[in-house]
Amino acid sequence: MITLFKQPRIKFLNYKYFAFALSGAIILAGLINMTVGKGLKFGIDFTGGTFIRIKFREPIKTEEIRAKLSPKGLGDSIIQEIERGQREYQIRTAGLIKRGEKPGEEIETHVIIGNMVIEALQKPEELAQLEKGFKDLNSIDHKELVNLLAQGFPEEAEEVARKIIELRDEKGIIESFDDLRGLGLKEETIKFLQEKSFLGSLCVLSRETVGPQAGKELRKKAILATVWALIGMLVYIAFRFKIAYGVAGVLTLVHDVLVTLSIYSFTNREINLPIIAAILTLVGYSINDTIVVFDRVRENLKILRKLPLEELMNVSINQTLSRTILTAGTTFLAVLFLFLFGGKVINDFAFTLLVGLIVGTYSSIYQSCPIVLYWQKIFGPKKKLK
Amino acid sequence: MKRSLGWRFILTLVVIGISIFLMIPPKEKIKLGLDLKGGVHLALQVMTDDAINIETDQAIARLQEQLKKKEIPFETVNKVSPGTFRAQGLRMEDEGKIRDILDELFRDWNYAFSGQGVTLTLKPEVDRYIRDQAVNQALETIRNRIDQFGVAEPTIQRQGLAGEKIIVELPGVENPERVKNIIRTTALLEFKLVKAGPAPDEETLLKDFDGKVPEDAELVRGDPKRTQGGFYLVSKVAAITGKDLRTARRSVDEWNNPAVAFTLNPDGARRFEKVTSENIGKPLAIILDGRVQSAPTIQDRISDSGIIHGRFTIEEAEDLALVLRAGALPASIKYLEERTVGPALGLDSIRKGLRAGIAALVVVMIFMVFYYRLSGINAVVALILNIIIIFGGLAYFRATLTLPGIAGIILTIGMAVDANILIFERIREELAAGKGVVNSVAAGFSRAFRTILDSNLTTIIAAIFLFQFGTGPVKGFAVTLIIGILASMFTAVFVSRLIFDFTLSRKRRPETLSI
Repeated sequence: MITLFKQPRIKFLNYKYFAFALSGAIILAGLINMTVGKGLKFGIDFTGGTFIRIKFREPIKTEEIRAKLSPKGLGDSIIQEIERGQREYQIRTAGLIKRGEKPGEEIETHVIIGNMVIEALQKPEELAQLEKGFKDLNSIDHKELVNLLAQGFPEEAEEVARKIIELRDEKGIIESFDDLRGLGLKEETIKFLQEKSFLGSLCVLSRETVGPQAGKELRKKAILATVWALIGMLVYIAFRFKIAYGVAGVLTLVHDVLVTLSIYSFTNREINLPIIAAILTLVGYSINDTIVVFDRVRENLKILRKLPLEELMNVSINQTLSRTILTAGTTFLAVLFLFLFGGKVINDFAFTLLVGLIVGTYSSIYQSCPIVLYWQKIFGPKKKLK
Repeated sequence: MKRSLGWRFILTLVVIGISIFLMIPPKEKIKLGLDLKGGVHLALQVMTDDAINIETDQAIARLQEQLKKKEIPFETVNKVSPGTFRAQGLRMEDEGKIRDILDELFRDWNYAFSGQGVTLTLKPEVDRYIRDQAVNQALETIRNRIDQFGVAEPTIQRQGLAGEKIIVELPGVENPERVKNIIRTTALLEFKLVKAGPAPDEETLLKDFDGKVPEDAELVRGDPKRTQGGFYLVSKVAAITGKDLRTARRSVDEWNNPAVAFTLNPDGARRFEKVTSENIGKPLAIILDGRVQSAPTIQDRISDSGIIHGRFTIEEAEDLALVLRAGALPASIKYLEERTVGPALGLDSIRKGLRAGIAALVVVMIFMVFYYRLSGINAVVALILNIIIIFGGLAYFRATLTLPGIAGIILTIGMAVDANILIFERIREELAAGKGVVNSVAAGFSRAFRTILDSNLTTIIAAIFLFQFGTGPVKGFAVTLIIGILASMFTAVFVSRLIFDFTLSRKRRPETLSI
């Protein structure tokens, strides 16, 4: 039998002041950073704006992109490389309210600015070709492509178009006409396409525009959802256990959310809707952990009647320790793979879960029991905890 | 013991069988979210104030008419705000008569006399009803339009029960511009006789009318895209409106330019015939959403069909015909959010999500077997069944799998073994305390069960609030998480126990347990 710990007897509660101080310091630093410092960076879901993901045909540097955007007054956009290789970027246009647009029309303004970004990044000769009526194979949609091909090869148009679009979806962007040769297209088809179309230098992978009004509403909803979830848990635990555990559980969760947000505020990551989802999930996960410990405390209160509460809590935490570490371990492993291989779109989400898992595990050991202990010291006798 | 094994075995098989049946083939049965499939997500708001304004304007007209009819003198009747208007300059002795009118004909309105006037306010329940109807009608109209435009499996729904927001999701659509215009056009079509114009500015237009707009007329601008622009003076009352149309389709005019041909319903045809026959030689303005599209001269009496021309492209003519067929919106619409995901990004997300998921699954399985030996295999079986049930559940509830949803499944892989770990650790403790194998297993399960129930239910509470608050991807995540937790409780507590009981029942007197 492999065991993590051979009957551990760690006096966890001896470190409670240290743990309080550590959490307090992180939260304090986070709150200072959030209020006075750089603070939390809210994404377009909460501030409104335009967010575009672009794949380029040829590698390009961040500075080059910025240099192209600057003349249009878009130089203050946030530009981030998605994947190594300098081919995929995400661009977020900066806050627009200061540009003095009428509030009612802002989402339209965002859309127009999005178009400006894309146009600024295209090469001048591309725009000229588009003007002349040539089609861009990297932005053409299926219907248009069928229409184009039907001019030369009415019978095969549908199938050839499907193949080309599938290739483009697969690779993100068609790099050269040689790519098309790999599809088994006839040489004359490729020649026809070379005459009638060209390969644009970029492909828009996704594009999101959120109006400022939506952002405000989402912010309110996010806070409400978190608060209601906490209240819901408080009620459930108070009902299944005792009020002391409910209060301690919820305070532990508030601690988790604050610490995670504090750590998040020191990173360069933006807060969007999925991050709120991740935080609510870690709330769910952390309470899971805490309840396992509480459940043991309650059970031990019936068995080890003589033991002082603090000692009893140490015993309980030790008894559940291997389970706590094992579960945290498997979950951490799973989320780690999501973080490493899940791709950029989900990366912030996975990061939040990773941080939250560590914080949640730590807090269910070092925060939840001490809070119950203090509650009991203030409000009443031990037997009320059974 | 033996007998109960039987039905538990059958139940497990049934659940797994149904799940597999539901999810196969996954490509058809599992609905993918826009972030994985590609498409357009739009959130829009119905400006219900418009509907209230229309109601108020009509009430003002009605009150003026009534006061005139009953020969009650008044100065003005003006709108104060949407849903409130005031009649001013009334005589004290008329109050009784006015009350009679209001009580009889303005039942939807609260009124209060003050000063030398009366203020009418739309009753709150009527206000609510009108707004609600406006949203419903807008929803219906948008659905009609999208159907006619032709999108496979669109989602068009109201957000929240009494919300003024509508969510439109169009999988497979890559270019939102055209669709956005189709949805947004109010498509209020009116045919009105032209009294003067077009003129480049208001002064020139009104010089025959002493510079004032006559009471039975109104000013309308020309649509800069379709006409030379400028101003028209048209009669206030429309000869016919979009409501009188029976059909509309793209067609061509006599110069072979794209245009929209329409036919009228019998009632509209009768009215149109009367107006056209009385006004031959005069121009008739075709007004769409308050902008003149064209103002052709009436050549002849027209009854049940006609043509709208303007400088349309083929697509524009097609789209206009479409919105006219689908009907007008009861209120204008404002876009709140617009998200487009290309299919390439979705494909990439699926690929990466799958890779991460499989890696997580394999590593967690290896760990469980390494740590718990044969009992670990038990947990591995439970984990695999768990994933099958999740997909079956997703298919059954027709829930949408989103990228955060995939993350939710991966998270569940990590968390699902929690219940197993809780139980196994408990069994180890019981074994260490010197209880027999069978008793230890039984005690381990029963003692761990309460903990598992409490801890999982609290997680579900969090997930439910997540579902309530989220849209699209986040909602997908919440659903996946809830199904995952329920599935893991079933597999870890029920199925895993079954496997233990089954293996133990085969040995006559089990003395050791590989855990």
